[in-house]
Amino acid sequence: MAYSFPEEVLEHVFSFIHTDKDRNAISVVCKSWYEVERWSRRRVFVGNCYAVSPGIVIRRFPELRSVALKGKPHFADFNLVPEGWGGNVFPWIATMTRAYPMLEELRLKRMVVTDESLELISRSFKNFKVLVLFSCEGFSTDGLAAIAANCRNLRELDLRESEVDDLSGHWLTHFPDSCTSLVSLNISCLGSEVSFSALERLVGRCPNLRTLRLNRAVPLERLPNLLHRAPQLVELGTGAYTAEPRPEVFSSLEGAFANCKELKSLSGFWDVVPDYLPSIYSICSGITSLNLSYATIQSPDLVKLVTQCPNLQRLWVLDYIEDSGLEALAAHCKDLQELRVFPSEPYGAEPNVALTEQGLVSVSEGCPKLHSVLYFCRQMTNAALVSIAKNRPNMTRFRLCILEPETPDYQTMEPLDVGFGAIVEHCKELRRLSLSGLLTDRMFDYIGTHAKKLEMLSVAFAGDSDLGLHHVLSGCESLRKLEIRDCPWGDKALLANAAKLETMRSLWMSSCSVSYGACKLLGQKMPRLNVEVIDERGPPDSRPESCLVEKLYIYRSVAGPRLDMPSFVRTMDEDSELRLS
Amino acid sequence: MITLRSSDGETFDIDEAVAVELQTIKHMMEDGCAGSQIPVPNVTGKILAKVIEYCKKHVESGKAEEQAASDDLKGWDADFVKVDQATLFDIILAANYLDIKALLDLTCQTVAEMIKGKTPEEIRRIFCIKNDFTPEEEEEVRRENQWAFE
Repeated sequence: MAYSFPEEVLEHVFSFIHTDKDRNAISVVCKSWYEVERWSRRRVFVGNCYAVSPGIVIRRFPELRSVALKGKPHFADFNLVPEGWGGNVFPWIATMTRAYPMLEELRLKRMVVTDESLELISRSFKNFKVLVLFSCEGFSTDGLAAIAANCRNLRELDLRESEVDDLSGHWLTHFPDSCTSLVSLNISCLGSEVSFSALERLVGRCPNLRTLRLNRAVPLERLPNLLHRAPQLVELGTGAYTAEPRPEVFSSLEGAFANCKELKSLSGFWDVVPDYLPSIYSICSGITSLNLSYATIQSPDLVKLVTQCPNLQRLWVLDYIEDSGLEALAAHCKDLQELRVFPSEPYGAEPNVALTEQGLVSVSEGCPKLHSVLYFCRQMTNAALVSIAKNRPNMTRFRLCILEPETPDYQTMEPLDVGFGAIVEHCKELRRLSLSGLLTDRMFDYIGTHAKKLEMLSVAFAGDSDLGLHHVLSGCESLRKLEIRDCPWGDKALLANAAKLETMRSLWMSSCSVSYGACKLLGQKMPRLNVEVIDERGPPDSRPESCLVEKLYIYRSVAGPRLDMPSFVRTMDEDSELRLS
Repeated sequence: MITLRSSDGETFDIDEAVAVELQTIKHMMEDGCAGSQIPVPNVTGKILAKVIEYCKKHVESGKAEEQAASDDLKGWDADFVKVDQATLFDIILAANYLDIKALLDLTCQTVAEMIKGKTPEEIRRIFCIKNDFTPEEEEEVRRENQWAFE
């Protein structure tokens, strides 16, 4: 029997269904469900802002309240995407001011956001609550002043890792006295001093403030006052953790921390003076997340701190922790799920710390819940990787960055194929993998054979021939994002697997062996892909077909070629076709 | 005491305290439209009995405030919706017509759980829904979903 519920009942059922996957599934069931679903959808996630246009989004979903957009490809983090490439959010904001006056949340990652955009946001959306700018750029503290002044119901302002033109700290004073709604404030990326008294008053009048990430310029002496005004904090990022060793400053800090019984996450700790670390010991037993990636303290102090945190689930730390520190971590922090170890001196020729593959092996042995790893180091062996793989078959994210490209197994001088092969073979739930070291095509054969759930793969300075790329494209069924640099991979594998590219979000290739001719062919063969060649040497028309492209970014899109390309980006397409967005 | 009469002629006597849980009935009582018997033309006796059972239980439990009682009620609710699909859908329609918010939430949430994690084909099968998209139309929606909104 077929039941046709009245629309309002269907809408009520759908109001309990939230994930993108489920909402998308409902929309395909039948035409009436499609209609009810699209009118009742309140949030979208657009993984590539150029895969769709603002016009398409507002036509499909007339009543959105929450929009998330991602712009530049991931390799922009390594300065591989030239300035001016794109990802400007303004066209989206302009369209949404007309279509979504009730918009509440905007979450942007790797996008260019101008002050004009921020001002428009602050004036257009009366109920605006959440602004997250993750790794964004293009705006100044003037734009932030507009947000502070005009967004009456602001709950979240998160600027994590954004590049801000920091004209002055004065913008914070633009929060009116009537603003009491803040739940989360992250200004850790800002350089200049904000007005401390304004900050204290703001913190003091927001009783629901859970997250406060300060910037480096907030001195340690100011921290106790802030903490006393917000004892309910769950997540805290300190400013610089340095001062002359003075007992009254220490006890003031210690007392303030002891009062914050809900704290679970700590970060900041720029310039940390080891003498001041014990001031946080009283709350360490509750800490589940610790970000010490700016803390330039040595292993003994790190170990003392980390071993105070038996409930630690996430640790980000510099390689000063060394193998000995990681051993201690493995012994004391049995709930550890995520570990990131960053290099203190990535450009140094010689190792400055005693951090080797052994540290990672220890943690993989001692921490049964460890499933997410980002590890910078200078040496690795196949044996170590095999151990890690066998210890942790539950691994979901594994990113290994051996600093020197093409480094072999330092004991056997072999490529690291067998080691990484063990990772993909044993870790059947692996979703993200970054490779480094000396790797041949054989490695990619292992990946294509075993990594069936892999969604994102990063490759640099690896492989021998097109066969490597072919293995990946033909074997990795779940692949969504592939980013490659400096690999001898080119036309043959790309053209043979053209159809695969429509099943992925995007492919990035730079300093590889792909020719213009192949790009043109690909663009003609696959009209729904945007095959974008990035070439800062000038217009490619005069060059022979066999000339290699510098950088290539290929992505599927329902919006056709983008219209905002700078001169150094060209779409390889049937030139004369006009597409409507 | 209020008397409700189902579409198939069955009558149910209920306390006023229970009757006002059915907002539609409550409004009728307030407007003075309620005679000796209030007809409920859209709802059969079988379903009206279930609806009244729910409302009675929730009115009784409303008097107890302890956590344990609240947990018990949740358990009772979970059992209440363990009925065949046809009955569940009829209860939804009745709750909608009679404007009983808590019952509507409970039953709609139950249906939502049946939908979560399923493919469109599975959903169509569970709810006996005919796919009225042409293959091309369906393909276009799927493409837009996957390429733009995932």
